Parts: sequence; structure tokens; C-alpha cells
Amino acid sequence: MGAERITILVVDDEEIPRMLRKLILQKQHYHIVAAASGKEALELLDRGGIHLVLSDQMMPGMLGTELTKTVKSTWPELPVILISGVNEIPADASYADRFVSKVEGPEPLFKAIAEVLVNYGHTL
Amino acid sequence: MKGNRTSNACLSNTREKMNDQERANILMVDDQPGKLMSYEAILGKLGENLIKARSAREALDHLLHNDIAVVLMDVSMPEIDGFELAEMMRQHPRFQKTAIIFISAVHLTDLDRIKGYRSGAVDYISVPVIPELLRAKVSVFAELHRKNRQLERLNSELEKRVEERTAQLRENEDLLRERADLLELATEAIFVRDMNGDLLFWNSGAEALYGWKRQEVLGKPVHQLLQTRFPTEYSDIEAVLAETGKWEGNLTQTTREGQEVIVACRKALKVGGHAVLEIVRDITAQLKAEDALRKTERLAAMGRVAGIIAHEINNPLEAITNTFYLLRDHPSLDEEARYYAKLGEEELLRVAHITRQTLGFYRESKHSVEVSISGLLDEILELQARRMEFSNIILQKHYRSRGTIQGFPVELKQVFLNLIGNAVQAMPDGGTMRLHVFESTLGRSGRPAVCISICDTGTGIDPEHAKHLFEPFFTTKSTKGTGLGLWISKGIVQKYGGAIRFRSLSHLNCNLTCFQVFLPDVNFQDSTDSGLAGSMAVEEISGVGHGG
Repeated sequence: MGAERITILVVDDEEIPRMLRKLILQKQHYHIVAAASGKEALELLDRGGIHLVLSDQMMPGMLGTELTKTVKSTWPELPVILISGVNEIPADASYADRFVSKVEGPEPLFKAIAEVLVNYGHTL
Repeated sequence: MKGNRTSNACLSNTREKMNDQERANILMVDDQPGKLMSYEAILGKLGENLIKARSAREALDHLLHNDIAVVLMDVSMPEIDGFELAEMMRQHPRFQKTAIIFISAVHLTDLDRIKGYRSGAVDYISVPVIPELLRAKVSVFAELHRKNRQLERLNSELEKRVEERTAQLRENEDLLRERADLLELATEAIFVRDMNGDLLFWNSGAEALYGWKRQEVLGKPVHQLLQTRFPTEYSDIEAVLAETGKWEGNLTQTTREGQEVIVACRKALKVGGHAVLEIVRDITAQLKAEDALRKTERLAAMGRVAGIIAHEINNPLEAITNTFYLLRDHPSLDEEARYYAKLGEEELLRVAHITRQTLGFYRESKHSVEVSISGLLDEILELQARRMEFSNIILQKHYRSRGTIQGFPVELKQVFLNLIGNAVQAMPDGGTMRLHVFESTLGRSGRPAVCISICDTGTGIDPEHAKHLFEPFFTTKSTKGTGLGLWISKGIVQKYGGAIRFRSLSHLNCNLTCFQVFLPDVNFQDSTDSGLAGSMAVEEISGVGHGG
């Protein structure tokens, strides 16, 4: 398994969901760093070493889609997955590589992450 | 003295009461001013209008310019004497009936009197003049003149009134004719009935609304004919009508064709209270449209609320789901704790199921793809296979169509999962489920469509429930259902420009419940120019063309 070498940045303004998402992904052997806002996420990204961004959509300050646009303009080769509880896909969700629903549960999320990573040339 | 004062007061009162029109003109003719003055003094008390003339010529001038009631004249005057003046007056038609009193100082012979009478004189007074006598005579003639004038006025007034009334009648007749035309032009049903309810009048609006011709209904009891259902007791309506002369309200009636119509009705008691005018407007379509609008608004509002709630639930839901995922294989849990965690996770799946249904139109991809209906149905049947086996459900499957449509598999799967799931749940003690796919047409448009028919022999659907089936939060499954399944299914099908139909048959102990979903066959889309196609479906299809 090559997941240990992969670092995922988990972005969510809510602490408990952020922590739990981090825990389930750690169980999949990913290395996780977490940020509580888009601003914090961009600071962490500046330091480098992140392979994938998994961000919540509805966050105060900067929306997931806004974060995605900034990320993609600075690091076009960095995959971004948005996760949301909203019932309508936002118009600019297409900037992200995937837009997944929170209701689907952990397995579809793992699947989406794995597929996106493979698309970007990572071997798992 | 006392009496005199009283009589003076009376006269002045009389004078005050008489206005100019009522006051009679008395012309006094004499060549001697002293005599004129004495007549004036005698007659002044009468309160009439006294005019003096010093000669016959002057008198004629007054006669021509005023309406004279009595002429008091001296017989002997220079130039033209009294008799000659009277003669001249009689020749003029206006003065033929004017009263003349001759005053003569010389003794008048009978011959003189006859001459006077001949020339139209009416009375004679000899000198010395007795004031009371002169006053009495003049007063009688003045009164006579006034009465004549009054009679003339009354006559002319009467004539005027007759003329006016005639004109009014003519106008009324025109108005009536006009009204009759209007009654026929009115789109409202207008009829008149007597107090027994029997019809006296029935306009063409009524013919159009109810279907009966005038000659068929006149004399018949209207509310029996129309099977009118009143909003309150009929006696109450009658009471209001009798008291106020009016009544307004909505009624339910039945046409000749047997169709029920809801009408806004205004009743008015006709003058005399022996007939009732009823004006009726068909508001069935209006009420239906209003009802549909209210429903649509309610659905839209519910959709918004559902969306907000779903979002608020989804965030903690994800956290809890992840918690259970972490608990699932946690090494520190013993067998019992793991069993509890499993129960919790299963229940949580139900919550997830509800919110996923509420989320409704969540899409995985932006572009529609070609979906095989039979493939989709088989996938669902596979999911339901264990449950069907468990409940002894026999499956009859007939796929007689290619059945491919352009769409989003997740949405379409949701539609058929709902319908097949409902059918399975309706047969807990076994039964038959028939699943047919065939080529058909869509409603009135006649567009080619794929029809997917799902029938079960389960518990059936109460006719009372049938009309609410597609409303949100309506469920017959008590706590087990969200009441959103069919509502969402209908929404999805409508988005595709399709239709969903429902039929329920009940015979003895056997119920047959059928749902039919019609989805437009997109392969015919290009050749069929149909304005009825759902705009969204068309957009998505063109989107596919671009996406490849």
C-alpha cells in the first residue's frame, strides 16, 4: 500500500466533523493534515507536501468552491475534492475534481479519493 | 274697532300669503282721477294688484300687457265709452272671458243693461258705490280668475306629465329591449324563477352552462333540475332573501351531461316579492386553477424547507456515520458492544435514506447518459430479491421494448426503486408483481414513449388516499415511510417530460395496484417537433450532444 506516502489536507470549519473525517482517512492509512478555514488551508498548502485537498463546501469566510479556484490557479496539478451536505450542486463546483455528498458515507468517499489520486498518477 | 282691526290683520295675512302669481290684476278705468282713487281705497283691502287707467286707450294698453282678472270701468268716458271698450275687448279672443264690471252714475235702463250683457259685461254697479258690494263683486271675479288660472296650470301640468310619462315609457321600452339583448349576450347564466322555484326565464348563458334549452326547462323546478347543493340550509337562504332582497354564495350544481359545476350565484328578489332573479357564473375552472396554484406553492415551499432541513441534518449525519465506521471494527469492543454499534449504524442508514430522498436531485454527473430501462430494473430487482423471496412474491417480467432513454441513472433508479419498493412492501404475505416495459405514447401529445408498468396484488390503495399519493409527507406506512418517495418520483418523471399514472382496482378480496411511468423516447425526439417536451429534458439532451 502506498497510501502512507499520500498527504491529504482536510478542510472544515466544524471541529468534530473535521476530526472524524481525519480519523476515518487515517484508518485508510493516509497521512492527514487539517485546516479550519480556507485561509488556513492556503497557508498549509504554501509549505508544500500536500497531494490532495478534501474541503467542505459551506464554510464562513471562504467557500469550498472559492478555495478550489484559488488552489487550482496556484497549483493546477493539485486534486481537490469537495464534500457537502447541500442539496444543490453549486454552479462553479466543476472547478473541483469531484463533488461528493456527505450522506453517502465513508466508502464512496474513499473510492472517490482513490480514483482521483489514480487519475493524477499516484499509485496506491 | 276691535272687529275692524281683526279684519285688517286678516287681510294683511291674506296679502302676505298671496305671492305675485296668485295676486289677480284688477284694472280700473275712469277719466276722473278722484274716482280712481276712491276705487283704489275700497279695493286696496283685497290685496289684489290694482292697475289704474285714465282712458279706454290706456286700458287696452294694460290689457295687452297684463293678465287682467277684472276690469272695473265707468260707462261714460270721453272718446271711447265703457260699452265701446267692452265691445272692443269682446272682439279680441284673449279678453272674451275677462270679467267686466260697469259703474254708472246715471240710471241704467234695462235696455242699457241688455246692451251691456250683449257686449259681454258681467255686472253692473250703480253710483253711489257701496264699498262692501264693490269689494264683494270684485273679490268673486278675482277668485274666479285665480281658480281658472289654477285649472289651466293644472291642465298644462297634467299634459306635460302625460308627455313626460309617454317619453319615459318609450325609453323604458328601449331599455327593456336593450336589457333583453344584454341578457342574451351575457356569458353568465341568468334565470328567473317564481317562489315555488319554477322557471320563468332562462337565458342563452344558462343554456350554454347547463345544456338545457329554454323551452325544455320553463315551468320546471330549477333547483331540482340542477340538483343544487346549497352551502347552508335552503330555508336560511330564503330567509335572507326575504329580509334583504339579496343573497350571494357558491353552489354546486349538475349539468345535463351529469357534470358537476361550482357556480358563484347572486340571487335577487324581484319587486313585489313574487319571483327571484338568479345570476350564475361558472367558477369550476377558476377554483381548480386556484387549487392547483395553492398546491404548487405548497409543494415549492415544502421543497425549500426540505432542502434546508436536509442540509442541517447532513452535516451531523456524516459525523455520526463516520463515528460508527470507526466503531465498527474497534478492537476494544466486545461482541455485545459491537452488536449495539451495528444496530446503531443500521438505524442511521435509515436516516441517511430519508435525507438522500429529500436531497432529491443530487447528481453524480452533469451530462445525461443513455440508460437501459431493463438494466436499471434488473439492478433494482436484484436489490429487492431477498425481500421478495422472503415474502413469497412471484415476479412476472415482460420487457417488450428496447427501453433506452437519455437521463441520469441515479434519478431514474430512485423512481423505480420507490415504485418497486412500494409494491414489495404492499405484499408482506405474498402476491404477484408484474413488471412490464413496452412502447407507448405520451398523453394527448401522442409522443412516442417508453411505458414502465409496475403492478402488485398487495394491500391496495384506499380511494381516499389515492388523491394524496403524490403529495409530500403523505404516507400510508406510518413511521416507516418518509412520505416523499412518490412525490420525488413524480418530480423526476416530470423533469424528463414524462408522466406517472396510477390505477387501483378492487374486487372481492383481490386488489390490483398499478403504477405506470411514461418516459419520452428520446430516439424520436429529433423527428418530433413537440412543444410539450419538458424544457429541462431538451436542454439536457442538447447538453449530451456537446459532451459526446
